[in-house]
Amino acid sequence: MKMGNKYILRVVSMKQTVTWKIAGEAGFGIMSAGTMLSRAFTRAGYHIFAINDYPSLIRGGHNVVTLRIATTPFTSITREVNVLVGLNAESIEKHIHEIQDGTVVVFDPKDKEWTAAEFVTKVELVSLPLRQIVASFAADTIMRNTIALGASIALMGASFDIFSSVLHDQFIRKGQEIVDENIKIAKAGYDYIQKNYPTLTSLYLEKGEYTEKIAVVNGSEALGLGAVKAGLKFAAIYPMTPINALISFLADHAKELELVYKQPEDEIAGINMAIGASLAGARSMVATSGGGFALMVEGLSLVGMIEVPLVIDLGMRVGPATGMPTYTEQGELLFAIHAGHGEFPRIVLAPADAKETFDLTILAFALADKYHVPVFVLTDKYLNESQWCIPVSQLQSTVPIDRGKLIMGDTGKAEHEFKRYALDTEDGVSIRSVPGTKNGQFYANSYEHDGLGHMTESASLRKDMVEKRMKKMLAIQKEMLSPIQYGDTDAEITLVTWGSTRGPVLTAMEMVRSKGKKVETIYIPWLFPFPVDGFMALVAGKKRVIDIEQNATAQLGQLIRVSTGFDIREKLLKYDGRPFFPEEIVELCLH
Amino acid sequence: MSTLTAASYNTGFLPTWCPGCGDFGIWKSLQGALAKLEIGPNDGLIVYGIGCHGNMYDWMNVYGFAGLHGRALPVAQGVKLANHTLPVIVVSGDGDCLGEGGNHFIHAAKRNPDITVMIHDNQVYGLTTGQASPTAKVGFKTKSTPDGASDEPMSPLALAITAGATFAARAFAGDLVGLTEIMAQAIQHKGFSVVDILQPCVTFDKVHTYQWYRQRLYKVESEAGYDPKNRMKAIEKAFEWGDKIPVGILYQEERLTSEARESALEHSTLIEKKLEIANWDKLLLEFI
Repeated sequence: MKMGNKYILRVVSMKQTVTWKIAGEAGFGIMSAGTMLSRAFTRAGYHIFAINDYPSLIRGGHNVVTLRIATTPFTSITREVNVLVGLNAESIEKHIHEIQDGTVVVFDPKDKEWTAAEFVTKVELVSLPLRQIVASFAADTIMRNTIALGASIALMGASFDIFSSVLHDQFIRKGQEIVDENIKIAKAGYDYIQKNYPTLTSLYLEKGEYTEKIAVVNGSEALGLGAVKAGLKFAAIYPMTPINALISFLADHAKELELVYKQPEDEIAGINMAIGASLAGARSMVATSGGGFALMVEGLSLVGMIEVPLVIDLGMRVGPATGMPTYTEQGELLFAIHAGHGEFPRIVLAPADAKETFDLTILAFALADKYHVPVFVLTDKYLNESQWCIPVSQLQSTVPIDRGKLIMGDTGKAEHEFKRYALDTEDGVSIRSVPGTKNGQFYANSYEHDGLGHMTESASLRKDMVEKRMKKMLAIQKEMLSPIQYGDTDAEITLVTWGSTRGPVLTAMEMVRSKGKKVETIYIPWLFPFPVDGFMALVAGKKRVIDIEQNATAQLGQLIRVSTGFDIREKLLKYDGRPFFPEEIVELCLH
Repeated sequence: MSTLTAASYNTGFLPTWCPGCGDFGIWKSLQGALAKLEIGPNDGLIVYGIGCHGNMYDWMNVYGFAGLHGRALPVAQGVKLANHTLPVIVVSGDGDCLGEGGNHFIHAAKRNPDITVMIHDNQVYGLTTGQASPTAKVGFKTKSTPDGASDEPMSPLALAITAGATFAARAFAGDLVGLTEIMAQAIQHKGFSVVDILQPCVTFDKVHTYQWYRQRLYKVESEAGYDPKNRMKAIEKAFEWGDKIPVGILYQEERLTSEARESALEHSTLIEKKLEIANWDKLLLEFI
């Protein structure tokens, strides 16, 4: 936070954070507008976070991007809206209830001449002739969003230069001429505000503080970056919202990163292809949402039986069935933990933001190779499709890659002396070979099997094999990540949460603390096997514990009760498909 | 000089198939084909389906993958993409490959991976004691079709050719010499090769006996002017069934394989790649 002389000397009072919202019909370039503005501000040294809201349609329907820009790091958007840009009259009407005192409402008078009397709150109206400007350049109407972006930068008191470099990078593949045209049109929007609204300075932002480079990624891209950093070589992913950006990332980079992305005919094929690639020795993954994962469940059980490493990105969205495909939910925690016929070890991790998605994905690959088990990275629509910022330095650490107990050349054993499923292991993990390894021949067998992989129905061998596999859970438990505590350890209120809900919870916690109440958050990134001791150490003796999750049945609460016997009675559950606003959590804490 | 013989692939386990089962002929022919092609126990992978055929792995001394019913082809494709120098063979059945795994079969053919699939085609589900399979002919009485099968039977080869398979052959489990030769040619073919192996089920099918087949089978190459490059003619032959049933290579064409179309596999297999990324900073630049 900037304090002292420099701050006071400024003529206008500068804002440290602004929330900007743009809305319009699908196909108006709303989503790309959000990304471009995010990038412009991160390049200028700000932190950003952007969420989108759109129906499961390609054309028509109402698309919205909400972007928060701030001089310091933050964890969530709030209900505050400082700028609303409506690319049609409906866009203002639909969001009129979100508009507060001081909100700047940007509209095209050709859509509708809005007057202050039409708003309950005291708004600042900015009439921006989008269509007229487009016409003056004989440009396509799609370019209204570019004008609106130029105007928005002016409204926030930023230099136009921060935007021209973004436009350059966005359009240079189409040629310099297209870049120049975009810059010219964006500048027209910027100049229009400077000329016609010179005294409208209420949204001017303090200067961005960050000198280091900041990456703007959505959650899927963060997961993709983590995967390739971890040595991902094979992915078979059937398209499904909300993990489609991961497909684009992998497919676009397959050549330069020397990996194979394969589009399977369905999720059943996807997981079986990944199992095959993993068995052959390539670090492999699948990604899907709940419905696709339902099809993978049979394959998951096979992974458990033949003990191949596999990373599964399960991007939750609103269910059951097709549900609301483009909306968010945390409804598959218990599904991930219990999926699959029969009993076998697994690990379930759930990151809260893009940076943690990157880190936990790398960890997931390491754990899968170390224990020959399926490892879930449980994400959701809100995490996957929101735009997050990560300082580049946090993505640059060297990651040593350990393939675990794996022999790929020659086992050095006599024929059939090598036992792929050998029982004499401390941690249940036997050394694996891959097809083609000299003297390493074995059978990967879906049936219960002996050390070489031959089928068995022997009672004693069956018992030994179950115990060998389940023994891994004990070893895995030794390296679980503990739950993380934020805020006041002597709190009156303890908020317990997981996954992307951490963002709004932490923002809410700070809002409540600023009102003088002592609050803490316990966040659980490693969910299965459940970190019983770590959790109990944090929660024991707490006065008021509230479980906050985005589902209707308090799945984390259920998991905690089953694992620890600790029953969290007070819950705040949301299941309308929209992420929590911090204010919803604040309200509960103050009552 | 290779020392491999069919006996090199025995494991000491004895087959549990019914005496006289067509699977014996397929098993012995496959051992012979592997020996002929010098693919030793450590040199290749056989992916098995679930069904009577799938039990073969226990008495087949080669890297084996006995996975889930119907899912052999996706597993095989994953292995092949990870290590495209490894010979990968799928041993499947008519129920496994065309029923539970029908969608996988169509898409494998479409992609043309360098994989050979041997379909044990006996019109019944033997392991579950005799229900109709997708290739069961109309009128065929089984435990699930007591009044005779009423659905149209599937033609594995017509389906394979239509979907994009680049090698389609039919063979007979009762002709070890002919089957071994066709299997060897199928494995050597660069692309998705399908061998539809007609196989009597001596326990649950009293109609389609060895004798029944022997009276009807003829070699397609014996037909004057037969050209296996002619796709439409091959489809016609695939449907030929009744008093005369053609065996042999019905169709063969050259087309780039699934693996050959992956630029990442141009210089080495996936499992030989370095895992560290050389141009990490350049990759991050795209997001700044």
